[in-house]
Amino acid sequence: MTAAMVRVEGLCKRFSVPRREAGLRAALRALVRREYRVVEAVRDLEFSLAPGERVGFLGPNGAGKTTTLKMLAGLIVPSAGQVEVAGFTPSERRPEFLRRVSLVMGQKRQLSWDLPAIDNFEFNRVVYEIDPAHYKRRLEELTALLDVGEVMRRPVRQLSLGERMKCELVAALLHGPQVLFLDEPTIGLDVSMQLGIREFIRRYNAEHGATVILTSHYMEDVAALCPRILVIDGGRLRFDGSIEALRRQIRPLRRVSVRAAALPDDPTAMGRVVLREGGRLVLDVAPERVPEVVGALVALPEAQDLAVQDAPLEEVMRALFGREEAAEIG
Amino acid sequence: MSAGASARQVPRLLFYGRLVAAQLEMSTLTALQYRLGFWTEGLLGLLWSVIGIAPLFVAVDHLGAVEGWGRWKLVVLTGCFTILSGLFTALLQPALRESMTHILKGTLDYVLLRPADGLVLCLTCAFHPWHLVEVLGGLVLVIAGLWLGEVEVTATGLLAGLATGAAGLMALYAFGVLVLCASFRALQLQALTHVMEALMDFGRWPAQVFPPALRLLFTFVIPLLVMTSYPAEALLGRLSWGTVAELAAVSATLLVLARLAWVRSVRGYTSASS
Repeated sequence: MTAAMVRVEGLCKRFSVPRREAGLRAALRALVRREYRVVEAVRDLEFSLAPGERVGFLGPNGAGKTTTLKMLAGLIVPSAGQVEVAGFTPSERRPEFLRRVSLVMGQKRQLSWDLPAIDNFEFNRVVYEIDPAHYKRRLEELTALLDVGEVMRRPVRQLSLGERMKCELVAALLHGPQVLFLDEPTIGLDVSMQLGIREFIRRYNAEHGATVILTSHYMEDVAALCPRILVIDGGRLRFDGSIEALRRQIRPLRRVSVRAAALPDDPTAMGRVVLREGGRLVLDVAPERVPEVVGALVALPEAQDLAVQDAPLEEVMRALFGREEAAEIG
Repeated sequence: MSAGASARQVPRLLFYGRLVAAQLEMSTLTALQYRLGFWTEGLLGLLWSVIGIAPLFVAVDHLGAVEGWGRWKLVVLTGCFTILSGLFTALLQPALRESMTHILKGTLDYVLLRPADGLVLCLTCAFHPWHLVEVLGGLVLVIAGLWLGEVEVTATGLLAGLATGAAGLMALYAFGVLVLCASFRALQLQALTHVMEALMDFGRWPAQVFPPALRLLFTFVIPLLVMTSYPAEALLGRLSWGTVAELAAVSATLLVLARLAWVRSVRGYTSASS
């Protein structure tokens, strides 16, 4: 049995944050005597990841995803619980551990703004003590994969957001990390650049076997990259499994759409009507009834554009976070 | 996996030597990146140095004796101050400002994730090479003061001067680290760097001009005199080895305190949210 690359048990993080009522009087009072409130950003998380897994953290803003990611990376010290990454305790921040991990944040850059990325790469070679010959090979491989051969010679401030993110990835991967933490890596990028970055991450994972942990608000990123997702909400783990399993639990209905010259008078008998507009009909149908409903829709006059899809992940998440029960699912 | 294979284990001291050199190279490359900026900064650096030293040349004929400090001995003291001030503006001040910006923007995350001591990385992350001109100017002043004042510098005096100067520099860095740690708690405390700059100006004057209480404060609490006045005295052969040891102990204590404060600050670091 392969040892876990990431093991988390009873992980908690509490922050003490100041609070006060509105108004000048309360602000003045807070100058002398400040009240604090304890916020539980992460509560009792438990999970483990195998080497080479690609896992997505999903959750609304303030759910505790980034805090968890930063505890795994060793940036934030947990309030309670155990974390082990690549056999190390991250918060000890031992150099041997830090050489095995890397973090890329879409909203923050590690590259020096005024210098070409190649100068930053050279700096990382010294910091990570990468053998010069190995560094050369690695740089050639990454720059070819990401197509930044010329780009890396221009000052970072002159690069587009997508080019900069590619260079950030090169900087983060030069030392060959075993665990790659990605926090919103495609934020603000156009669709083709998002696709390019996703493809690169998938390929890197396949070729080097690195464990990839991703947080993203773009559901497509997570759906395309991560066979396994961890849904975190209110600091708690609410789901751990595949996207398909999540869909089956939260929105098991299949979405069937069709365009026809005439629509049925009462389509509610087939399923829940999502849209009925002009000649277009969209229904949510129970999986076991899909063949029967498709058969009926195909028989409609001039039926075309018939499609059967899973519910979009955004809707699944909205349904999940809209639920009132706080109990763990699955 | 290539991480372990690519890491060449070299002695830590050699690694940190290379690391600091690489950080200084990055800052120098940044300074060289924009031609106009480079020459402007150079010109301003030179101008700043001259402005700092000029009053001394104007007043040198009028300098009265300050309890054992003749005119040329005061020039030596000014030289020591200028060296320290140059080192501060070239090395420590830019690093502190850059590190505080990292804390503000949350990019300290990247610094802390590098496999090296975070404090060393912070204290060497920025550098203004042109301000080293001030250090050279200070050296010239020290040598000129000693030469024209016909002071015979003995080997032990020179050694004591270097030891006290090193202790002074350590104290300065320790003080800088404490200011940096304070900015982890509240970013407004970044203004302490300006207080630090203003306080350093007291180092222009010999210890004897201060009343005893201030002298104690500036030796043991905010050791400005350790940084300038005492190295000058040591060069002039007027400082006992006992005092040199005391000053080294003050600096070492401050360094230990600064290190503890750093460890505590990093453990409490919450990282700016993205």
